[in-house]
Amino acid sequence: MPAAPPAPGASSTEAVIEAPEVRLIGIGKRFPGVIANHDVEVTIRPATVHALIGENGAGKSTLMKILYGVQKPDDGTIEVGGTERSFRTPTDAIGVGIGMVFQHFMLADNLTALENAVLGAEKLHGIGDKARAEFESISERYGFGLRPDVLVEKLGVADRQRLEILKVLFRGAKVLILDEPTAVLVPQEVDALFANLRDLRAHGHSILFISHKLDEVLAIADDITVMRRGTTVGSAVPGEVTKQELAEMMVGSELPSPETSESTVTDVVQLSLSGVTLTDDAGRDLLSDISFDIHRGEILGIAGVEGNGQAELVETVMGMRRLTSGRILLGEEDVTDWDTRRLRESGVGYIPEDRHRHGLLLDSPLWENRILGHQTRPPSVKGPWINRSGARKDTRRIVDEYDVRTPGIDTVARALSGGNQQKLIIGREMSGDPVLLIASHPTRGVDVGAQAAIWSHIKRARHDGLAVLLISADLDELIGLSDRIEVILRGRMVGTFDPAGVTPKDLGAAMTGGGEA
Amino acid sequence: MSTTQVDKSAPSERARKIGGMYRTYWLVMLVAVVALSLVRIATGADDITAANTLRAAILSACPILLAGMGGLWSERAGIVNIGLEGQMLLGTWGAAYFTYNYGPWVGLLGAAAMGALGGLLHGLATITFGVDHIVSGVAINIIGLGATTFLAEAFFSDYQYGGPRQLTGLDGLPFVTVPGLSDGLKSLNDQGWFVISDLAGLLAALTTKVSVVTILIAVIVVLTAWILWHTSFGLRLRSCGENPAAAESLGVNVYRYKYVAVLVSGGLAGLGGAFLALVAASGFTTNQSNGRGYIGLAAMIFGNWNPFGTLGASLLFGYTDALRLRSPSAVHALLLVVAIGLLAYAAWRFYQGARTSAIVLGLIGAAFLVWFLTTDTVPREFTGMTPYVVTLLVLALASQRLRPPAADGQVYRKGSAG
Repeated sequence: MPAAPPAPGASSTEAVIEAPEVRLIGIGKRFPGVIANHDVEVTIRPATVHALIGENGAGKSTLMKILYGVQKPDDGTIEVGGTERSFRTPTDAIGVGIGMVFQHFMLADNLTALENAVLGAEKLHGIGDKARAEFESISERYGFGLRPDVLVEKLGVADRQRLEILKVLFRGAKVLILDEPTAVLVPQEVDALFANLRDLRAHGHSILFISHKLDEVLAIADDITVMRRGTTVGSAVPGEVTKQELAEMMVGSELPSPETSESTVTDVVQLSLSGVTLTDDAGRDLLSDISFDIHRGEILGIAGVEGNGQAELVETVMGMRRLTSGRILLGEEDVTDWDTRRLRESGVGYIPEDRHRHGLLLDSPLWENRILGHQTRPPSVKGPWINRSGARKDTRRIVDEYDVRTPGIDTVARALSGGNQQKLIIGREMSGDPVLLIASHPTRGVDVGAQAAIWSHIKRARHDGLAVLLISADLDELIGLSDRIEVILRGRMVGTFDPAGVTPKDLGAAMTGGGEA
Repeated sequence: MSTTQVDKSAPSERARKIGGMYRTYWLVMLVAVVALSLVRIATGADDITAANTLRAAILSACPILLAGMGGLWSERAGIVNIGLEGQMLLGTWGAAYFTYNYGPWVGLLGAAAMGALGGLLHGLATITFGVDHIVSGVAINIIGLGATTFLAEAFFSDYQYGGPRQLTGLDGLPFVTVPGLSDGLKSLNDQGWFVISDLAGLLAALTTKVSVVTILIAVIVVLTAWILWHTSFGLRLRSCGENPAAAESLGVNVYRYKYVAVLVSGGLAGLGGAFLALVAASGFTTNQSNGRGYIGLAAMIFGNWNPFGTLGASLLFGYTDALRLRSPSAVHALLLVVAIGLLAYAAWRFYQGARTSAIVLGLIGAAFLVWFLTTDTVPREFTGMTPYVVTLLVLALASQRLRPPAADGQVYRKGSAG
């Protein structure tokens, strides 16, 4: 855990703006069929970092949207600086000095950093030189190092996040809500973010920090509030609680872990890449000279900051992109020129990165979704025809075996929660005896329960001799599940790690090119 | 304070970028004039830079440019307006009806209002009801054609000089000629001197019998650029086309800006219709726009969603259109221009290292050259499609660098923020 550096000389020239105290009292919010929040009590003291922790689906996001005026609470009151407030729109919340940084950045790529910051707040400083000066002065004051005229599409993830924070400060916000700000950052970037946050605190801002990463919370927070099943179940002070205690408050029971047991790696090579290179139209290398083997019963984890070639690697192996040079062997066969369907028919399962865009037809029933990718194989088809009853029967099997919680197989995929959608995809991809599974972020955006189930399915398949290529942004997951970890940076493999002896910190260093390869 | 120091460096970087952009525009213009001049001298086709041709080119470009500006406004706010054609048609009827009854200036307003009505319909369908933009646009084109045909029959049949399909004898709008300058430039144009006569032809076209509506259109182009890129209103409008969820999370009323955009879009297209009925021709006929709305949309795309790019594209289209109408023989000389253009572009691509595309472009260019050298005229059937072929060619070549607004054509639902 990094020690808190002393707040850098905030005092001398800058006037310290004291944030008001924010209190949420008895907040409740109901959606049709769900109680998202009830009896929520949170008090944010001035000039502190207040962490709000809880599992996915614990109601943190809804609470944030209520505090930021995106949604209206059904019960309860919000007090800012001792005055009761009600927000109809985000503009009202901004008006009393509350700003929010969303988990998914709210930036327009084709506008400049300055334009993004100014948008919606043109009245404060205009859109010309005054706004530019204000932008630069904020960037300077908190050490963000942002330039106003750069297009957002040219900015990296960490810079985008700083721009989001700057955007909020530009509006004069005293209270900042950060929704899972570290989800997209590597450990080194997280440290930099925390330095920024401490700086903000020293300048008198309050920060509401939403996370489910306990190490981070213990490192940065002054106060902690824990949410579970839509309500606040307790609060704690860092220093007085352990990670374990917090985790148990969050989950209400013992935590699952991705840890695999004994090695099941065999010496039969299932997938072998040699010298795989992929060049884009402009002649830049997306993947350069990538070589690795995955054996039967082995999970190879790929670590990397998003956008360093993981997606391209997966698409190349899946036959969606034609590689420029190199060879891919599946078992004994050269599959370099095979198309995706032929690969799938020969036993390659694929859990796509974005299940909504690539994994499911959201408005089709589950049994039709079962057929996707299996449209040439029994039991989904019989000759040239779709085998309706066969597909339906097999969908029922998946629903049972993989514990997909659904009213029935005629339900549309959209109606399922993320975790259940993902379990359906995994069940589908494990059908038809695959020999290789490519799993891109298999537990992204699913709750802890589904996460544990997905982990155990992958572990069982590995035990049965499946070779798995695992791509994940969750370093704990990578370390826990993998038998070997390769780090990818700018389309190159820059290091191999043994998960038994590696820490997220080491991986983070290699992922950003900081450490030795 | 250290901020002032940063302050100075940033605008200069920006200014440099913008300066470079304008330099490129001027360079392209200059190269085009020199190439045309060379071709004129080599082929003796004096028409290709004659003042009259260029004046006709401007007349032909104007309605396309207005449709393009209309497309620009709506697409910058994220709405694909393929209904420009229908809105233009509504504009032609509006121009005729209001001019007949209240005079040409009210006619312009009436045309814009009719176009805006078409825009409102498109806005209702796409913004409020979330209809696919293309479906709604096509529907508006069909409605526009049907409605104007019906309205013409219903209203114009009884008018003087009117009929069920046309209305002629409408009051025109004034033209402006710069005295002295115009005649001098024209005689200079007739001399046939290298480059100088060609430039004189261009300037003569800009100073002789220019419609006030043309001047109005020039103002509209500049105003559009200024409003969309230099005001907070424009920033908000563009943000709705780039990332409406982000805009809404910052308190921008996305629906309102989209409606404004689509209304302005329809209004401009309607004005384009007025130009057709009142300036380019002396009366209304049914289906007068004849596909210019689509060409305007193409011009906007080729102009990279940028007002001055759209201006250039419209002029290019107007020029080829005027050339084929005025002097089919000059179209033959145009083959040489196309050949030179393609070969030059191929050489540039080759220099950039894109071998394959350079070779393909070079071969096409060589084919045009051979066509030019082995024939004396272009068959009549082909001259008619010159503007379309040129547009297609340019679009195909330019399409690699085009960058539409990120959320263009996507249906946005309120409350998607967060």
